[in-house]
This record gives sequence, C-alpha cells and structure tokens, in this order.
Amino acid sequence: MFLALRELRRTWRRFVLVGLVVLLVATLSTVLTGLANGLVTDGISGLRALPLTNIAFAPHSEATFSRSTLDRQALDDWREEPGVQSTPIGVSFVNAASESGGPSIDLALFGVEVDSFLFSEAHREPPSGETDAEGGLEGLVLSHELEEDGVEIGDRYRIDGAGTSLPVIGFTFGGTYGHVPIAYTDLSIWQRALYGDDAKGRFSAIALRLPSDFDIAAADRRAGTETLTKEGSYSGSPGYSAETATMTLIRGFLLVISALIVGAFFTVLTVQRTRQIGLLKAMGASSSYVLRDGIGQITVVVVLSSAAGALTGAGIIAVLSRGDVPIELSLPGVLSSAGLLVVTGVIGSLFAFRRIARVEPAIALGVEQ
Amino acid sequence: MSARPDAPSSRPAPLGLRDLLVTVPDGDDTRTLLDNVSLDVGAGEILVVTGGSGSGKSTLLAAAGLLRRPDSGDVLINGEPTSSLSERRRTSLRRRDIAIVYQAANLLPALTAIEQLEIVGHINREKRSEVRRRAESLLTEVGLSERRHQLPGKMSGGERQRVGIARALMAGPSVLLADEPTASLDQDLSTQICALIAQQTQRRGLATVIVSHDETPLAHADRHLHLAGGHLEPVETGAGSIS
Repeated sequence: MFLALRELRRTWRRFVLVGLVVLLVATLSTVLTGLANGLVTDGISGLRALPLTNIAFAPHSEATFSRSTLDRQALDDWREEPGVQSTPIGVSFVNAASESGGPSIDLALFGVEVDSFLFSEAHREPPSGETDAEGGLEGLVLSHELEEDGVEIGDRYRIDGAGTSLPVIGFTFGGTYGHVPIAYTDLSIWQRALYGDDAKGRFSAIALRLPSDFDIAAADRRAGTETLTKEGSYSGSPGYSAETATMTLIRGFLLVISALIVGAFFTVLTVQRTRQIGLLKAMGASSSYVLRDGIGQITVVVVLSSAAGALTGAGIIAVLSRGDVPIELSLPGVLSSAGLLVVTGVIGSLFAFRRIARVEPAIALGVEQ
Repeated sequence: MSARPDAPSSRPAPLGLRDLLVTVPDGDDTRTLLDNVSLDVGAGEILVVTGGSGSGKSTLLAAAGLLRRPDSGDVLINGEPTSSLSERRRTSLRRRDIAIVYQAANLLPALTAIEQLEIVGHINREKRSEVRRRAESLLTEVGLSERRHQLPGKMSGGERQRVGIARALMAGPSVLLADEPTASLDQDLSTQICALIAQQTQRRGLATVIVSHDETPLAHADRHLHLAGGHLEPVETGAGSIS
C-alpha cells in the first residue's frame, strides 16, 4: 500500500467519480434495507409480538390463516400432548364501518380466548378500558396506532357478518398483520363474524407453545395439522413473500451493478497504469505486490464511500420514518448492506487481476512484445 | 578514459550475454533484432551501445535486464545462467542485481523524490529506517537532498534523471542498464548525467551498459559497440574516434 495511499492522497480527484457512485449505491441500498425492514414489520409485527413458538395450521394451507380452518377435534388432540400449551386463534381481515360517522377502518380481526396465554400475555401492558367481568371480550381491543388516528373508547363499529355492532373497549400494543392494524375480540364474536350461526367451534389455527425438543411431526400426524414455527408462518402474511423477494432482488441488482462499476473503473485504471505497472515489475515487484497495492487502494475508496453512503441512507431513513412510510432503521441492516457493498466492490476489482498479471516488465523500456 | 584490458579474473563478469537471439514478428515475416549476440561487461566497465532507432537497442537492454526472455541464448548475472530460471527467480534476481535508468527517468508521478527511492526498499521488504537512511544518502550523492520532498511534476528534467539514477542504485545492484538516459536533456545536463553514471560505475564497481543514439556518453565509454542488423560491431574508443 506504499504507492496506493500516496496516490489516494495526491491524485484523489481521479477517485471522486467512482467514490460518488459507490456512495449513491450505498445510500440507496441502505434506504432499501430500511424499507424492506419496515415492510416486514408492517406485515408481521402483530404476529411477531404474539407469545407463541409455533402455529398449527390445517394441512396445505401454506401458513395462510384465511386458507386454514381447524375444529375442536384438532385442538383436543393438541391438548393431550404433554408439556404443550395450546389455544385456538381466528384470523381474518374485515372492514369495520363506523356508526358514529367516522371513516371505516380495515382490521386484522384476531379472535382469541380472553383467558388464554395468547391474549393475557400478548400485551406488554394490559388493555386500557374494560374487559367483561366474566372474562369475555364483548368488543374490540385495538392497536395503539388507531388511537393515534382518533378512534376513541366507546366508538361503535359494525363488522360485516357479525350481526351486531361492537364497541371499542380498549387499546393495546397490537402491531399490524398484513399491513393492517390488529383488533382483538372474543373467539366467539370472531366466529359469528366469519361463519354466522354455522361456526361449530371452528377457528383458523392453533397457537402453540412447544418445549424445545418436541416431536412436531408425530403430533401433527395425530392431530391432522401442519405446524410451522412462528418465523415460518410469516410467509403466509399477505404480500410478505412478494415484498421480501422484490427487495432482495433490487438489492441484489444494486450489489451486482456496484461490483461491475468498481470492476470497470479498476480495469480502466489498470489500463492507464500499464506503463507504471511494467515499471514496478521491472523494479522487481511481483504481480501480487501490484495487485495488493491496487486492491488495497480500491478497498479504501469503497470502504470510505460505503460508510458515507450508509450514513446518508440512515439519515434519509430517520427523516422518512417520521412520516407514514413503512421504513425502519436497523444497525445490522445498515452494516450488512455496507459490508456487502465492500465485498462485492473488491470482488469486482479482481476482474483486473488477469490484466495486471499479463503486464510485461519490458513495457517500462517501451519494448512491445 | 582508457579501455579496460580483458584481464582474466577469478570472479565472473557481472553481466554476460551468450548467443542471444531475439526475433519479433514483422507482418507475416519475422525480424531479427539480436542475432547471436555475445559479450561480457566487467565490474567498473562502461559499455556504450549506439544504433539507429528501431535497431533493437531497447530490446538488448530488456533481454539483459531479464525483462524479456530471448528466443535462445542466455544471460549470465554474476556468472549464473538465467534462461532456465523460473519467472519468480528471475524477478528476485532483477530486484537484487539489476538496476535500470530509464529514458526521461520514468518516475512514479504520485511519489516525492525520496519516496521514489523508498519504494524500492518497500518492494524488497527492507526495514523502513534503513531504507530511509540509504535513500537520504543516495539523494545527497546525486545532489538532490534539498529537493527530496518534491513531486516529479515540479522537478526539472535533469533533476528527474538524477532521481532515476539514485533509484536505480537503491537495491545495491551489480549491473546498471541505462536506456537513452540523456534523451530529453540539453547538452550541459547530458554531460552532467553521464558523468554521474560514470562516477557511480567506478565507485560501486558496476557493470554498466548505456544505450544511446547521441554521443555524449561516449566520453566515458570503456567500450563502444554499434548495433545494426542484429549484430554488435566494435567502434574504436580512442581519442578522435568519437566525433
């Protein structure tokens, strides 16, 4: 790096352009990472917050609540498994029309048994307002963000199919599922909303808390269910797979583009330096000496501009996250996108390796081979 | 300066060429640049090779400096044959024993005068303080210690070439090859540069080959050969033969 560092210091202008390109790619890549995180959070934060380890779905439902229906029999089978806590959960998307003239709202309606671990432990704080003394949940407990939107306790909403209108009885930390705020209600109300009088004890899935060495496959065979981990069930959230795949694709392309740009830059630099490389070799430097010098140089450029880009991106995320954009700043996300950029940039610069290895020292004397 | 007698010596000549053959493609044909050239250059001896442009002077230096392999024949460095050595071995021989002074100095634009010398030590993985000491003393020897932090862009042609010579001497070579060292200099500077090369050749017992198309170096030549048609023909170096 003897030569590389002095060149960076004294001829920095020639590195400005490639540095700016990498900086912009790093900025974009960081913002996209934030957006990907934000979308994931928006899609599954409600599910992530639930105090369960696994979810048992009906077979072939691909982790999608709306495709899964289970009945009491499956629940009873699970209840016989030793060391397992289980409770039914109903999940569906509903439109709630305000009866007091406010706007109607989209809700992810989570039907739960109010005395189950799912509801009593789901919340970092007990719901404000009243729950029924009998342990019933004759109304809606909504996510906090709806409170911020102006919904108040006592407001009544009519849910399609539920027959009756339901009062808002409290707010809690609920999060969102499928980009829609979560509303908790009693399982029986959820069943009435979805199936009318034909509910017959049906629900979407069974929330489970399993011991770590539990034989899931055997229990699934006995109960006729398909059990996934909590993380495995994220993919069933509406849009989750598509969003994640899109973001991954865009970030992948950015990395490839950045590697190609750095590679092209380094190649042009190598061609410009052919005579200088010949001179170094004539002075007794090996190809690897020249290559180390060059890669060291490009690494310094890429590291500095990636770091600057990551900082810029973090700033943009901080500003955007104050608004309605589903974006979330995470340190691992920022570090990994900047780190990947450095790695691909250096890999890109290896394209010039053959060119450097091929330069003949006789070039220094102006002798062509 | 008188011609060196070819006294038999127990030590081999630092530079020896044996039946060097170098051809280059020339359209569909090949052209012979060096046609079985053989010679020895002893320690402290200056050989000047003249020739027209395109006669193969630089190719002769490239082959002698182990920068390119001849089609056949061998180059002996301190008596050691090099044609069968690996590229790695040739590189390390080049690093230690062969110094080259280039046309127009060929300095690295981003390095100061002293750094041009220090990078040689860096390539050779030598201790930094030792390298700096040697670089300082060499720059003083060529009269440039005041200018040691100057970049090549701010130096005159003569200064650049002095740095080039000092750089060539950094590794403590036994063979010094100079390619048109005075090409871009005026007469006064040319004379000074040639005197410097001659002085260092004497002081360090180098085997020096100067390739030139002008005649300034001849004043210091122990031997003068003319390259034409792939053959080296002796030219008398006695007084009066120069011009």
